[in-house]
Order: sequence, then C-alpha cells, then structure tokens
Amino acid sequence: MPAAAVITAILAVHARLATTVLCVHAQKQSSGAAECRRRLLDGLEEYEEPFGMVSAVSQHAAVAARHMHEFGTTSEQLAAVAVAARKHATLNPAAMMRTPITIEDVLASRFVTKPLHLLDCCLVSDGAGAVVVTGSERASGLRKQPVYVAGFGFGYGHGPLEAPTLTTLGGTQASAAAYAMSGLGPDDVDFAELYDCFTIITLVTLEDYGFCAKGEGGAFVSDGRIELGGALPVNTHGGLLSQGHVEGMLHVTEAVKQLRGEVEVARQVPDARVGIVSGHGATLSAHATLLLTKECG
Amino acid sequence: MQHAGLGAREFWDSCRAGAMALQRCSACRRFRYPPRSVCPFCLSVDARWMPVRGTGTVYVALVVYPRSRDPQHATSSLVIVELDEGVRMWSNVVGCDPEAVAIGDRVRLIYDDAGVPRFTLAE
Repeated sequence: MPAAAVITAILAVHARLATTVLCVHAQKQSSGAAECRRRLLDGLEEYEEPFGMVSAVSQHAAVAARHMHEFGTTSEQLAAVAVAARKHATLNPAAMMRTPITIEDVLASRFVTKPLHLLDCCLVSDGAGAVVVTGSERASGLRKQPVYVAGFGFGYGHGPLEAPTLTTLGGTQASAAAYAMSGLGPDDVDFAELYDCFTIITLVTLEDYGFCAKGEGGAFVSDGRIELGGALPVNTHGGLLSQGHVEGMLHVTEAVKQLRGEVEVARQVPDARVGIVSGHGATLSAHATLLLTKECG
Repeated sequence: MQHAGLGAREFWDSCRAGAMALQRCSACRRFRYPPRSVCPFCLSVDARWMPVRGTGTVYVALVVYPRSRDPQHATSSLVIVELDEGVRMWSNVVGCDPEAVAIGDRVRLIYDDAGVPRFTLAE
C-alpha cells in the first residue's frame, strides 16, 4: 500500500532514522502475470476456495451488495464513479483507457460478480511510480517545489466474515487521525485521489472521509460532483479504474503533481491547495490516509 | 486441498461426517469461525467443538458469472451466510437459480458428496 509506505518514510525521517527516503512501487501484472500471481497463502483459502470465493472482486462485491441493501445505492450510482474516472483518463496521456464511457456502457458491460460489472473493476497493468520523502528543511532548497504532508493516519478493521459492518471501512479511523493531526477537515479538501480497485470503494471512502453522510455516497457521486469541474474532483488521473493499477502509487504522485500545478491544463484542479489520498487493502481490513498541502502548515 | 490452519482438520472432519462443528469459546461462550487457537473476542485459548444447528440467514448474496459467454458455463451462487450461532461463512446456496437468492433469506445447511457445507433455501 504506497500511501502506507509514504507514512512509514515520514516516521523514519521524523525519528532521524533516515534523512531522505525513496518510496517506489512497480507492478508487472499484465505482462508478467505468471511471476506476479504466485499465490500468497494467508491461511484462509480453505474457507474460501471450496465455495468459489477466489478473487478480490467477490470480496468487494459483498461490500456493494450490503451498501445497496442498507442504503438503496444503485448500479447507476456505482457506474458514475467509473464514468468520472474514465473522463479524467481521457485527459491523461499516461492513461491506459482513453475512450469515454457512459453510465449505460457500465451497466451493459458483463457482470463479473453481480452486483459488480466489468467496468466497476480496476485494470490489470504494468506501471511504476515513486516519491521522495524528506524533511521540510532539506526540501526547501531543492529544484522541485515540495508538497507538504499535513496529516496522515491508519485504520484497521476485520476481514469480511468478522467485520461488524461491511459498509464502513478503515477510512473512518484513518481520516479522523489525518484531520486531527492537520487541523483540516473535509471542507478544506480541494480534490481527492481515492484507491478505487472497485467503484464501491471510492463511494465508501467518500463517506468514511466525511464528504457526505454514511449511506449518501450514491447521491454524492452522481451528477458530475466528483468530476473535474465538480464540487470535489476525485481521481483526476483516471485511477485504478481507467489510468492503470499501480496499487495506488499513482494516486500519491497525482496528488503531488496537482498541488505543484504540473498536470495538463484540462486536468488541473484550479487553485489546488489541499488534496487527500487513500490506500486500501488486506481484504478490506487496512486503510491509510495522506493529507497533502501546497503550503507548509 | 491441503488443510493448513489450526483447527481445519476438526472442522472439515465434522463436515465430512455430516455434522458441522465450530469452536465455541469456553470463557465468553461465543462461537468463532474460521477456526483458530485464540478467541478473537476475549483472547481465551479454551474452546470446545460444538455442532451447529445448521440454520442461518443470507447476509450477502452474489452471483458469480463465468468468463466465457458459452451458455453451458452457468452462473453460480456465492453467499455469506450468518449462522444462527452468530458466525458468518462463505458458502453457496444450491438447488435454485442463483439470481433468486436475496439478503435476508433463511437457509438450511446441507453437504455435498465431498462434505463441503452448502445451503438451500429453507422453504
């Protein structure tokens, strides 16, 4: 989880265990499939595989099914997340998927695990990204304009069988820590780069981060609100859904570029000063938040 | 499949015998699943294997679609069932159209020829 790697680097710099840390993540899933898909045993396989629970799609489809059941969230609302990501990817020369899609296209794509359609799912990609983490004093004399970490946090929960709920994940705990550390809140955030392995996770994270109340994520992501030009642009690079799956490292690099004003004009969030980044993983049970700012708080 | 985890042999043996048993903590009396050495609620290491009633409620209902569009590759049910003992498990609802299974449906435990625990709609 690259957002967590950045937090670990910050802690190392703060503790003077290191002066400067390079956080790098590379992925070779589409061309190096045989190497990369070697199985990781977590001891739970024999309670999953006999039933056909063999993929992250099914775990996240379970979240979607519960969100739909508890709050009336619709497939159209999930599709709006995919449409926004694709719209941003069409503006990003480094994105894999650059043909615009509509809500109807998402709904017409085949089911992988119902209720998730193919276009609710992220890509399988080759890619890499890196960021350099150092102290603000060291950063002040560098060639590149630094971006500041105003707050961060972790959140841990349970796997899908033992979680008290599947519709609130670790983002609540992680973002609360980041907001408390920074003195900033959801109203201060200009854009969000949210881990989007599946459309439902973007929606749940928006709720967990306090951009809307729990259960209102479906309405929040509709009507272009999370698109560039909307109230809260989300995944301005196209995300895992449409730019490429590099485990969220490109969410971190995109936030840095947005705050530096380095992206293409059409993709630039005007006057971007505060961005929030999420990482998510470990079978729904781990979350990390980074709150980044243009100016040193 | 090789049984790797602690308690896996007891669990799968009970299923193959047609009487699924789960660990119940001797201290806090709560059932737990998947099997493990320590109670996740109170950390006690004392537990007994207790048979379950075999009834539960669908907590999550999914339909897994085949990658192939070949019509002979059928869709299949994938569910999380909440047993009346309070634990949730991945399984399948069989004997009906996977699309017909919904959250809240009451289900009953059955076993396939290999002793894998699955469920049918209770009515």
